[in-house]
Amino acid sequence: MNGRRLAATMCGMLTVAGVLVAQERPMQLDDTKVPKGRPAPRMANGKPDFSGYWKGTTQTRPGGNIGKDLPGWKLPLTPAGEAALKHNLTATVDPEAVCIIGGIPRHNASGLPFEVLQGNNKITFMYWYSYFRLIPFTPGLKHSDDPDPSFFGEEIGRWEGDTLVIDSIGFKDEKVWIDENANPHSDALHVVERWTRPDYNHIHVETLIEDPKFYTRSFTYSRTWALGEPDEQIQEYSCSENNVDAAHLGFGPGPIRPDGTRGYVDPAPLPPPVPRKP
Amino acid sequence: MPTRVALAVVLLCAAAGGRAAAHHSFAAEFDASKAIRVTGTLAKVEWTNPHIYFYVDVTDEKGTVVRWACESGAPGALSRRGFKRSVLKLGDTLIVDGYRAKNGANLMDARRVTLPDGQILSGASAGDGGPQ
Repeated sequence: MNGRRLAATMCGMLTVAGVLVAQERPMQLDDTKVPKGRPAPRMANGKPDFSGYWKGTTQTRPGGNIGKDLPGWKLPLTPAGEAALKHNLTATVDPEAVCIIGGIPRHNASGLPFEVLQGNNKITFMYWYSYFRLIPFTPGLKHSDDPDPSFFGEEIGRWEGDTLVIDSIGFKDEKVWIDENANPHSDALHVVERWTRPDYNHIHVETLIEDPKFYTRSFTYSRTWALGEPDEQIQEYSCSENNVDAAHLGFGPGPIRPDGTRGYVDPAPLPPPVPRKP
Repeated sequence: MPTRVALAVVLLCAAAGGRAAAHHSFAAEFDASKAIRVTGTLAKVEWTNPHIYFYVDVTDEKGTVVRWACESGAPGALSRRGFKRSVLKLGDTLIVDGYRAKNGANLMDARRVTLPDGQILSGASAGDGGPQ
């Protein structure tokens, strides 16, 4: 039993002051502790099977930042892109916080796990927040001349050997952030995802992002996820059930730290309260 | 001592559990420089997505009752760490530590909840960029 499982099991077993402390399944995994080398499973047609419940790893840094693989996380924004970023930071709340679909490539930069189910001619990615995308990869599919704008875009899959390529155009240009740091994208966005399953416990994506309106050049975003436990799956999540915090949100994600993540550099939490006498 | 042990276990479990992204950035709603502690009577519970809310009535020196809204993570995330709806009992006196909303409302991010028996629960939306 590795350290992660041991710690999780201890949490599940410990009883303190008469109260059972339940086991918390980690939403992200330390990839150094995930076994490697077991061959990827394959479909009856011989293609890799991407099905599974996939979790990000703690090695993916900075999380939620589509510029993760760029020096200094600096995105190559055009002047129009700079203006769009300023607008997102100063005039919009996080679309996901008001129950708008995050879309692609934002979901690939999310810290939340997702689930994949694969068939012979389609593959579906299911996300927390109760969103999904369904990608056909029937041979010969082509993009529409004028696709309806959508948050995931018009997605078409194809196989190149053992790599599943998802080519997407036709994106919305309003109420979208390309990542959790409020970076923008326009309706000219073109995303090419190249998915592989290097071994049983991992899937990997190499993403090409093109958006000539907002970015001076294309750039890439790569990431690896690790397989969750067999009994884990997406749970119900009704985003608009009681979204009262939306009225209290400021514009943008708040401060961005030097490490490229969102939050305060030096928060000062209060010490724990003094225990009360029984 | 039981409280300290409980805290240690909660922190241990949090460490083992890693982090998850939240519905929105902590810093979009709360101010980390406004750490606050509220002690009051639990008046209402909303065990809902995208966040749970519970409401605590606080009585000041003049006898005026002020209601604070306390926001925590999503039900699924909380229940996985042992923070179940059933532990919040109306009428209980709670100590809630967290951070006040940036807009100055009587709304706080309830990251540490101390129950009457001393049990401490983590109500944070882990991975939202806020203090753990």
